[in-house]
Amino acid sequence: MSETEISPPKFYNKIFEWFCNQDLYFELQGDLLEEFEVNYHQKGIKTANRIYKKEVLKMLRPSVVKKVKTQGQLNNTAMFRNYTLVAFRNLSRNKLFSAINIIGLAISMAVGLLAITFVSEINSYDKFHENRDHIYRIVNTRTNLGQSPQEYATTSLLTGVWLKENSTVFEKVVPVLNGFNGNIKYGENRFSVRGQLVGEDFLDLFTFPLLYGNSQTALKEPNSVVITENFALRVFSKKDVVGEIIQRGRDQFTITGVMQQPPSVSHIKFDAIASLKTYEAKPSRARFFNDWGTMWSSYVYVQLGANSTIEHGQEILDLLAKQENAKQKAYEIKPGLEALTDIFPGSGKYNQMGTVMPKENVNQIVILALIVLFSACFNYSNLSIAKSLKRAKEIGVRKVAGARKNQLFIQFVSEAVIVSVLSLVIAFFLFQLIKPEFLALNSYTSRTTTLDLLPRTYFYFLGFAILIGFLAGALPAILMTRFKTINILKGVTQIGSNHKLNLRKIMIGIQFTLSMGFVIIVTLTQKQYKHALNFDLGYETEKIINIYWEERDITLIKTAFEKIPGIEGVSASNFQHSTGTLNSDIAKNLEGTDSATVYNNYVDTEYLNNMGHRLLAGENFKAEGPTDQMVINETLLSRFKLGNPNEAIGKQLNFYDKNRTIVGVVKDFHYGTIYNQIRPFAFLWDSERYLYHVNVKVTSNDMPGTLAQVENAWNEIYPEYKLNSSFYSEDIKRTYADLSSSAKTFGMLAMVAICISMLGLLGMAVFTTEARIKELTIRKVLGASLSSLLSLLSKSFLTIFVIAACIAIPSTYYMFKNLILKNIEYTIDIGFWELASGSILIIIIALLTITSQTLKAARSNPAKNLRNA
Amino acid sequence: MKRINLGEFEEIALLTVLVLGDNAYGVSIKTEINMDGKRSISRGALHTALSRLEDKGFLTSTQGDSIKSRKGMPRRYYQVTNKGKLALQEVREMRDALWQRIPSVRMELNYV
Repeated sequence: MSETEISPPKFYNKIFEWFCNQDLYFELQGDLLEEFEVNYHQKGIKTANRIYKKEVLKMLRPSVVKKVKTQGQLNNTAMFRNYTLVAFRNLSRNKLFSAINIIGLAISMAVGLLAITFVSEINSYDKFHENRDHIYRIVNTRTNLGQSPQEYATTSLLTGVWLKENSTVFEKVVPVLNGFNGNIKYGENRFSVRGQLVGEDFLDLFTFPLLYGNSQTALKEPNSVVITENFALRVFSKKDVVGEIIQRGRDQFTITGVMQQPPSVSHIKFDAIASLKTYEAKPSRARFFNDWGTMWSSYVYVQLGANSTIEHGQEILDLLAKQENAKQKAYEIKPGLEALTDIFPGSGKYNQMGTVMPKENVNQIVILALIVLFSACFNYSNLSIAKSLKRAKEIGVRKVAGARKNQLFIQFVSEAVIVSVLSLVIAFFLFQLIKPEFLALNSYTSRTTTLDLLPRTYFYFLGFAILIGFLAGALPAILMTRFKTINILKGVTQIGSNHKLNLRKIMIGIQFTLSMGFVIIVTLTQKQYKHALNFDLGYETEKIINIYWEERDITLIKTAFEKIPGIEGVSASNFQHSTGTLNSDIAKNLEGTDSATVYNNYVDTEYLNNMGHRLLAGENFKAEGPTDQMVINETLLSRFKLGNPNEAIGKQLNFYDKNRTIVGVVKDFHYGTIYNQIRPFAFLWDSERYLYHVNVKVTSNDMPGTLAQVENAWNEIYPEYKLNSSFYSEDIKRTYADLSSSAKTFGMLAMVAICISMLGLLGMAVFTTEARIKELTIRKVLGASLSSLLSLLSKSFLTIFVIAACIAIPSTYYMFKNLILKNIEYTIDIGFWELASGSILIIIIALLTITSQTLKAARSNPAKNLRNA
Repeated sequence: MKRINLGEFEEIALLTVLVLGDNAYGVSIKTEINMDGKRSISRGALHTALSRLEDKGFLTSTQGDSIKSRKGMPRRYYQVTNKGKLALQEVREMRDALWQRIPSVRMELNYV
């Protein structure tokens, strides 16, 4: 906390601002603040806050408190009853306009409700921990030699061990190691489990109360595990299971506690947490605890001691970093502290625990919802202003009868509030309809939010509806209260000047700019997504099925699959290319004069053939050959200046602590995604150890039949495990889910924005034709053609559309370039039609809307329109 | 003789403003009064007294420059008017006159 940021309790601050007499506020509040700051430095934050609160309460005296204005409020209820009555009469008189207003508002409010529920859920993350304000997570910024720094949510367990031994700045230090996942066995049954291994103070630091067991001792011993209520029910069908034993791999764990089901709004999600002591005892896991660089899946949470500040914490971490970074040169790690409340929603760090909603996503959704809402408010304002002439007489009479300006203002605003509350009811149903769609939008929302409605959410909804009503009603209310009584009663038809008309045009213009912008961005995002899917990767992914299998015995699976007819080849690799996973290390030439980061993958001998990689020189891996074989890409070739492909064969590079011989060179291919450029890459040969993915190439015409055979073969080998398979193209699709979900989000909003602006336009078109019906009829009688009437009515709108398009196209183009294409290396070409087609589409729909109204007017019987003059 | 309307606390506030000279504003007056620990007045109570003194014409106030540490809110500095000074003088004279008429102050012995 820096010095300038200290501020007294917000709530009290607000109350004081509310009750204090305006003339005295600056003097008194200034004095209070000044004193608060002195107290803060002399006596600490707690005392300063207490004194401040007391001072504020003592300010409640007649000399300080605002003077309450009292005026005649005798017939208020009667007035409000009258306002409501008039409001409903108006709604039912103009059924079309009321429908447009209510539906438009309802659609956009549904989006607003979604945003409210979403944001309030996201903001409640991790708020249930009692020590939340004092808990921090240690995060690392790691810089590998020759690369840019990257931020990780993880840190090494060494940090935790060291802090516990060498420092008193932190009251509690809790290491957490991700990796209590997979299957557990109880009796003969297997259950999938998700969880972590945690330090003994875990239950003390975080607020996860136990139903059974002692939270002080539950995680003290090795091989103890605490499970959640739901997991206990799933495995044992009862809750009190302390003392039972479950098996995970070769280890047996005793259940020492059953936890009350943790809230879903916790960034640490688990079914079970085991004691980290289990690993401390094992020499094979020693690297986790004593290596500064092993930081990929371990987290350290700390609580600051009562007398230490975050600066003290940072000092001690810097000390440790200095000590450890000096020991080697390959990388440098800078640890830092991140407050618990900043973790979710968070900034884009690597290796987060579970899925963390990025802050930008939350902001994006709020901004988009606001845009749509404003658009709907514009509709209401626009139509009300347009219709205001019809209510001029009412306003005049009210004014003559003694209505004050603010009373009229209240009347019109409360009419808008009535409309928005009616819309809320419809919006609520729409909200329930789009909720599942929204949750399925992307992996962030589906994994982190439930959108369950809490009692307070309903209050937010109501408050929101009233606010929207106020926003929508304020502008027309102000304009209408300004009408001059004398003009109204004289019967002047054009009240006020032309600027109101321009205001209306501006509002329509903004709406159409938004609609066009959304449509253009949908078109472009969709095209980029298609581009990512159909990108020429440089190898084959057609007809490849990937099977994920962690537990080694790859050879067994391979031989079983090879027997199936219709399968052309089976290969195995460490991970799948083009799906976002990357692996790299520093490679050096043998002289040690040159080094570079080289990306790599472990594959077996069949892989290159199976995936259709094109060898430029040398040959494939040989099963009988040495283990140091390596096949490189062209970029690596030129990076280390190894000459032409043929010259490179037989040369060696030091990679992963081993001198490896180049046996082949492949043509450059996209091992990464469209977000990555092609950099030096090497395939490393491996027969078993690192191979987790089996790639099956199916060439038979009977795809379902072959798939069934694959599944049968699998079930023969591993009857107790489910086959985890997918088409390569599906995996790639999943990789670009963020693009497709952006396209979906924008698509949904585009629909909403278009609906609203078309409704608004329809309203305006109806109004214009109604107001000018006599003029149109006379023109028609005098022989005007239909087309000339059409152009007369649509000319002013058309100008607005063209201006809107002129604004929308360049600004959307700019936004797309800078927001969506920001990190993408391989982008689409954007031509005229991608940009213009959306705008043209919207203009056509809009013109159709206007035309329908003009046609209606032009076709009606002239005699009828002219008769009652 | 016209009556001087000056309460005990008001008198203290007025004297404190005089003591502080050019630096008499809310916080400084309050700390000065509370200094020896014998009193603990709140800023609100002080405000009541100061505003009453201003109404009576014993004090005037001017607004200072806006100050960054107070979120830009200016201080209000108080000065004692001549009328205020006269009032203090008169109260003091009246008191002194009374004191001089007492032969000697003697504490009564209390038997417990």
